[in-house]
Amino acid sequence: MNKFVTHSIRFVVFVLVQALILNHLEFGWGILIIVYPLFVFLLPNDLNIAFSLIIAFAMGFAIDLLSDTFGLHASALVVFAYLKPLVFARFAKQDDYENLKEANIYTMGTSWFIYTFGILLFFHHLWFFLFEIANFGEIVYIIQKTVLSLIVSFLFSVGLQIIFVPKPKER
Amino acid sequence: MKNLIAFLRRFRIFLLFVGLQFIALATYFSSLSFPRSQYLTTSNKVTGNIMAARNSVTHFLHQDETNRELIKANKRLREKIPENYIQISSTEIIVRDTIRDTDATYEQQYTYIPATVLKSTYDKRNNYMSLNIGRKQGIKKGMGVFSESGIVGTVYQVSDHFSLVKTILSMNPNIDIMLVEDGSFGFLKWETHQARLANLTGISNDKPIKKWGKVITRGGGGIFPRGLAVGKVYRVSPIEGRALWNVEILLGTNFKKVQKVYVIKNLLKGEQVRLESTIPKDPDDE
Repeated sequence: MNKFVTHSIRFVVFVLVQALILNHLEFGWGILIIVYPLFVFLLPNDLNIAFSLIIAFAMGFAIDLLSDTFGLHASALVVFAYLKPLVFARFAKQDDYENLKEANIYTMGTSWFIYTFGILLFFHHLWFFLFEIANFGEIVYIIQKTVLSLIVSFLFSVGLQIIFVPKPKER
Repeated sequence: MKNLIAFLRRFRIFLLFVGLQFIALATYFSSLSFPRSQYLTTSNKVTGNIMAARNSVTHFLHQDETNRELIKANKRLREKIPENYIQISSTEIIVRDTIRDTDATYEQQYTYIPATVLKSTYDKRNNYMSLNIGRKQGIKKGMGVFSESGIVGTVYQVSDHFSLVKTILSMNPNIDIMLVEDGSFGFLKWETHQARLANLTGISNDKPIKKWGKVITRGGGGIFPRGLAVGKVYRVSPIEGRALWNVEILLGTNFKKVQKVYVIKNLLKGEQVRLESTIPKDPDDE
C-alpha cells in the first residue's frame, strides 16, 4: 500500500482511539494512557522536520477538539515532534540513524528504542501535565501524574507495536 | 557559508516550533481564563455530533443505574404530593411541598431542563461534561447543573444544540454550600483530585463536625436553589496554623456514571443581579 495512505489511515485511527476511548478510561491516581505520540514516532525519518511538526500540530489539535483540552495535546505533541530528531541522533550509534528509514521497536533494536521513545515520551508527558495543571504548588501531583501515566503509556505503545507492526525477517 | 545555511535551516525549524507552540498555548490559556472559543470544544456542531454518536454506543452500559436512580427520585417526589398528607390538627397550617403555577402566594423561581450527558471526565485538573441540549433549549452560560444525587457544575459554553459544563471537579468551583446540621457555610473546592471527594473550606474549628452530616447548597449566587444535595461529610481534619477545619465531602454525584442531569433555570436571576448591583462600592476597594 502507498505509504501516504497508510499514514493517513493511521492518523485517523490514532486520533479516534485516543479521543473516543483512551481519554475516557480513567483509572484514578491521575493515570492517562496517551498513545498518539507513537504515530509521530512511526513517521518516516526522511520526512521533512517542518512537515512533521505541522502534522503533529494537526493531530494534537484534532484530539483537542474532541476532548475539550483547547490546544494542550497539540502543544505537547509539537514538543515531541521537535525533540524527536535531536534525541534520535543523541542515542544513535555512528551511522544507524542515516540508514534507518522507518523507526519502530524492531528496526531500532530494543535498547535504542527504550532510550529514545522513553525520553521523548517523558518530555511529552511532563509538558502535558505541567500545562494541564499549571500550578507549581501542585508539583507533587504533576510528577505523580507524569510518572504513572508514562509507565502505562509506554507499555501500551510497546504492546501496540508488538501486535500491529509486522516483524521483519531475520537477516 | 554552508554552515550559515545549515544554521538558518535549523533556526527555521525552531521558529516554526515556537510559532506552533504559541498558537496552541495561547488557545489553551485564553480558554482557561476566558471561554470564548466555542468552535474549539465539543459543543461545536461537528464534534458534538461525533460525541452524540459515541454516546449512543456507550450509554446503555449505565442504563440500569440511571433507571434505578430515576425510580428512586420519582418515589421521593411522589411522597411529597400534598394529597398524601392528612391534616392532623386544625390549628396547624399545612406547608405544601409542591407548588402549583396557579397559586397566587407562590411564584416559581427555578425551572429544570433535563439533559443527557454525552461525555464527561473526572480525572483531569479541570473536568468538563458535554450535554445534548443547547441554546435552542434555553441553556445559557453560567446556569447550574445537578443530577439526582447531587450538584454537578455550571454551564461553561453553549452552542445551538450542545452545551459544555465545567464540573465541580475543577480548580475553583466556588459554589457556596453549607452543613445542614448547624448551618455553617463555606465554599466548595476540589483539592483532593479524587472523583468522589471535594473540600468545604472556611468552616471555623470552634465546633466539632459530625461525620456523615449532610451538605447542601446555600443558594446565595442564584445559580443553585437552596437545599440541593452536595454530599456528606467524609473526613474532618485541622488545618495547621489556622482556626479552620479542612472538611472533605463525599460527593453525591458519581461522576464516573452520571447519565441524566438537570440544568437549572433561575427565572428571577435578572432581578437579583439588578438588586445586588445597587450595593454601593466600598471606597477602600478602589
